[in-house]
Amino acid sequence: MKKTLALLLAVLMVLSVFAGCAPAATEPTNNTEPSSTTPSSDATEPTVPALTGEAGEYTYRDAVSTLASNWNPHTYQVNDDAYPADFLRKGLYNFFFNDNVNNTAEGYDPFTTYVVVPEMAASMPVDVTEQVKAEHPEFNIPESATKGYAYTIDLNPDACWEDGTPITADDYVESMERLLRPELLNYRATDVYARSFSIANAEAYAKSGRMVYEDNGAAAAPYAIEDMTIGEDGQYVTADGYKVFVNLDNANDWLGGDSLKDYVEAYGEEYFDVTDWDALVGQMTKDGVAPLTEETLAMLTTVVTGNEAWGETDGSTLYAYLAYGVQWDEVPFENVGLYKSGDYQITLVLGKALSGFNLYYALSSIWLVKTDLYDACLSEDAEGVWTSTYNTSVETTSSYGPYKLVSYQSGKAMRFEKNENWYGYTDGKHVYVDPTDGQTYDMYQTTAVDCQQVAESATQKMMFLKGQLMTFGLGSDDIATYRNSDFVHQIPADTIFFMILNGHKDAIEEREAAADFDQTTTDLETMTLTSFHRAMGLTYDRALFAATISPARSGAFGLIGNTYVCDPETGLTYRETDQAKQALCNVYGVDVSQYADLDAAVDSITGYNPELAKEFFAQAFEEALELGYITDNDGDGISDQTVTIEYGMSSDSDFMTKTIDYLNEKVAEVAEGTPFEGKIIFTKGGPYDNEWSNKLKAGQTDTQLAGWTGSRMDPYGVTDLYVNPAYQYDAAWFDATKVDMTLTIDGTELTMNLKQWSDCLNGIMITVDGVDYNFGADMVDMETRLDILAGLEEQILLTYNYLPMMQDSSLQLLSQQVYYVTDEYNALLANGGIAYLKYNYDDAEWAAYVNEQGGELAY
Amino acid sequence: MAKYTLQRILYMLLVFLIITCMCFVLIRMLPPAVLPAGDPHAEIIEMRREAMGYNKPYMVQFGIFLKNVFTKFDWGVSDQLFSGQDVAKLFAERLPATVIVNLYSILFSIPLGIGLGIFAALKKNTWVDYTISTLTMVVISVPSFVYAFIIQYVLSYKLGWLPFLMKSGTDWFSPEMFVSMLPAILSLAFGVIAGFTRTTRAELTEVLTSEFMLLARTKGLTKAQATIRHALRNCFVVVVPAIIGEFVGILAGSLIIEKIFSIPGVGRLTIDAIAARDYPIFMVTTCFYTAIGLAANLVVDISYGFIDPRIRMGSKK
Repeated sequence: MKKTLALLLAVLMVLSVFAGCAPAATEPTNNTEPSSTTPSSDATEPTVPALTGEAGEYTYRDAVSTLASNWNPHTYQVNDDAYPADFLRKGLYNFFFNDNVNNTAEGYDPFTTYVVVPEMAASMPVDVTEQVKAEHPEFNIPESATKGYAYTIDLNPDACWEDGTPITADDYVESMERLLRPELLNYRATDVYARSFSIANAEAYAKSGRMVYEDNGAAAAPYAIEDMTIGEDGQYVTADGYKVFVNLDNANDWLGGDSLKDYVEAYGEEYFDVTDWDALVGQMTKDGVAPLTEETLAMLTTVVTGNEAWGETDGSTLYAYLAYGVQWDEVPFENVGLYKSGDYQITLVLGKALSGFNLYYALSSIWLVKTDLYDACLSEDAEGVWTSTYNTSVETTSSYGPYKLVSYQSGKAMRFEKNENWYGYTDGKHVYVDPTDGQTYDMYQTTAVDCQQVAESATQKMMFLKGQLMTFGLGSDDIATYRNSDFVHQIPADTIFFMILNGHKDAIEEREAAADFDQTTTDLETMTLTSFHRAMGLTYDRALFAATISPARSGAFGLIGNTYVCDPETGLTYRETDQAKQALCNVYGVDVSQYADLDAAVDSITGYNPELAKEFFAQAFEEALELGYITDNDGDGISDQTVTIEYGMSSDSDFMTKTIDYLNEKVAEVAEGTPFEGKIIFTKGGPYDNEWSNKLKAGQTDTQLAGWTGSRMDPYGVTDLYVNPAYQYDAAWFDATKVDMTLTIDGTELTMNLKQWSDCLNGIMITVDGVDYNFGADMVDMETRLDILAGLEEQILLTYNYLPMMQDSSLQLLSQQVYYVTDEYNALLANGGIAYLKYNYDDAEWAAYVNEQGGELAY
Repeated sequence: MAKYTLQRILYMLLVFLIITCMCFVLIRMLPPAVLPAGDPHAEIIEMRREAMGYNKPYMVQFGIFLKNVFTKFDWGVSDQLFSGQDVAKLFAERLPATVIVNLYSILFSIPLGIGLGIFAALKKNTWVDYTISTLTMVVISVPSFVYAFIIQYVLSYKLGWLPFLMKSGTDWFSPEMFVSMLPAILSLAFGVIAGFTRTTRAELTEVLTSEFMLLARTKGLTKAQATIRHALRNCFVVVVPAIIGEFVGILAGSLIIEKIFSIPGVGRLTIDAIAARDYPIFMVTTCFYTAIGLAANLVVDISYGFIDPRIRMGSKK
């Protein structure tokens, strides 16, 4: 035994020595840097990892923090997984830049907007609504409809999979069947029925034979409890005959996606009356609902209304805790609105009319899968759950786009190379005219894409400076160094970050009543005053705020960001319209007549007006004194209490510290000489992780820089976020149904509340004085919709519950190896992506260039 | 000894089951990821959760899990990170990178660590000893990711001697792969070298002052002979189990190092699974770590008896 042990140890030592010596023995010999361009005297010149490359090859070297793991078009869920889509797939229709540089027509500006082109389709769609309505009653096209419901689409006969197999109409139809097949429960199935793009009967087929519990609170027109009746079995039913349930353990829109069970189990007696909770849960079925009977309704009422802390004592919100069961009948796939009408032609029938840009946009990404491979990747477990490994590896992926996947290592790297079977390389359509030299070039100069998972930004930066990556997103520490670089590009984003100030009086009163709260020195109630909100809104120069705390971003003044396109046909953004500009002038009190034009008036807005802010602080002081929120016992005209505003952080960070320090510094400056001099302070609260927004809504913390991101092509939909209690941050103290707005529509004054205006703007029929109104897409002209949108934005801003502070955007360095064909950022095409990327050097030239620079590039 | 070993194995299995059950229940007690309000996809996710049995009682779910593992060795499929993919296969794909990087690191560290420890002990209370001991304390005090950043900055960025990241591919024993692993190996090695140095120095210093060492010298052995034949052997009663422990520990990987050098290993997979609430991946990695940890303890305990015959495991006397 001793000898064995000794021998083992000896072997171990020897191995260790070998390991220690290994680097010298295994020094690679793959240094292919061109000797003619290598400075021989450079002692620190890279030897091992020097860039290498082939002449005539153009490799796009990319890094992502999380590598795609599932790019199945039927099941992918997160943006990281969408990464390969641009390379592997194309839609029926595509968007190209308007690149006619020789067009001298007035108003035509090349590379500022886009044109729609058939891609996987052979031509533009043909509207056959009348014909399909007559021949196919199963699709239920409305009798009155004459267009927008059915289209025939000729397919590109040259389209094929990477192995050369042609793509025909059968592929489209069979792929759709798999997308919607009920037992597969594909995540992306809802994409073809739940939104504006809705294929006829797709939802019915996907839910065939299933009881689906619809969240009553999320419905556009929720069922009121008073309108329900009790059936013979004692269960409530809606007027439409749907059985009603208490929604206990399913996602609840009213609760921001959590379930009531989650909430009660998390907070218990603190916020709910749990006397009847166990009995109620005892009636819960395996579907997470309990039939709504008189008994369960009473239990629910006790739980929700029995504790004042929850803030819903009047019972008016009980409807939001209900669900109604919809039993879907068995529907054959033949009833789904997609069928083959020729070997290379499909007919698409929609449940909701859609046309023009919105139709092309919806069809710019499609559901196509290689069905034999797809079927081979499906598996069912013992519980009957289906899963698929389609598009999770090289073997399970087949491309029909410009590139194909050639290698993939989970969590590490993936590589794409040109798909020689892609029609686009030879059809003569995938070309563009370069605006700088007027010459025509092929798109997709890139010959390969190498993508690695690089989690650390610091590593990405070093690799970028060594010429090993094409782009580098600047962090806050890098902006000062690179913001003036010739290679920096600003990438606008959609989010507006606004500051919300707590207006939840009940919650604040409760916090002030706590035993450890010192009302002689601290006050919270003053921050609920509108005058106080207004003063705070005038305290901060938005551009300076952004430049100080997040230099890649810019100041914001409205609720809708500058990337939102209101007219997809022209690419016009909402913020460029007169209506949007006038709304901002109205909110910020800018007299347009004092300026040369509306643009100049808008440009004058900074959000900062210290004199007016001081007036509002003084007004807030008087109001707060009168209401007893604060005192001035010594009569010095200064508040005895400090208004303490808790900033509810999700997690602590340098950014938070910088933000709060800035807020404090500027409010101290502006409040000087007012009754709140030195008496307003922002403090850190939390960290609350993901709970910060719930706490903000419940008035348990006072402010945050929050934001919404909507659909960039639909600014109108953003309004719902500010008037729908399911989303509103201020739902507890602002009721959009109680604020009216009057607009002149077609010469007639029309008054509705803000919720109604928003609903109506987004396609819901609203009846006023017996007249039906619907201002949804394609229902009225764009100017009318813009008037409504601007009116809503103005009214919401005038509540001063939301103080816009920053427009989101980022800065990115682009490698010297490449350039974008246009510097104009387009909301739809960005800078053109990989299709329009041009190279200054091929891989071999680039390697030589980097080495010439000593292995490190200056940006 | 055999009886003791068998007894320990049975205890180990019991502890393994208890830990597995606790982890299974605790991870599933976490509230599921909040579904986006108003997103129609939430409905599908809800239905899949229901179909996958996540709404069943925890112990029923655990029973199904155990049944599948013991009857079919089916650890399930990933439902978040790697939708639909077999988690056991995913885990197996990630294990080699972690093992190899850490194996190289240990092999590199042991001779250096033990050698420095011996040297310091033999030069006890001299400037050599003070220097080595001080450096050891400094190195132990600094976490390995600090070295990782320094190594990456100096060797990869400023000097350009080594690549920034581990090479992609599965040619684990190719020279290119080895070179690409060097920054990670070095980053991990510093701490291990310091650990072995400290342990060896402490043990050897104690042994060298023992009476039997005096006896060895008085019977005519040279200092070197006495140290090698008697002192080192006694000192290894502590050092060798530490080596075994380190070898077992290599399987756990290093989350930070794997992240910095883009090593597709199990450490990152585990943390990602926890963050994404991917229950099946979490369970397979947790069970693996639990089994390895328990086995390591058992092996270390039993190894004492082999290294030093005076130690009798499980003896009642």
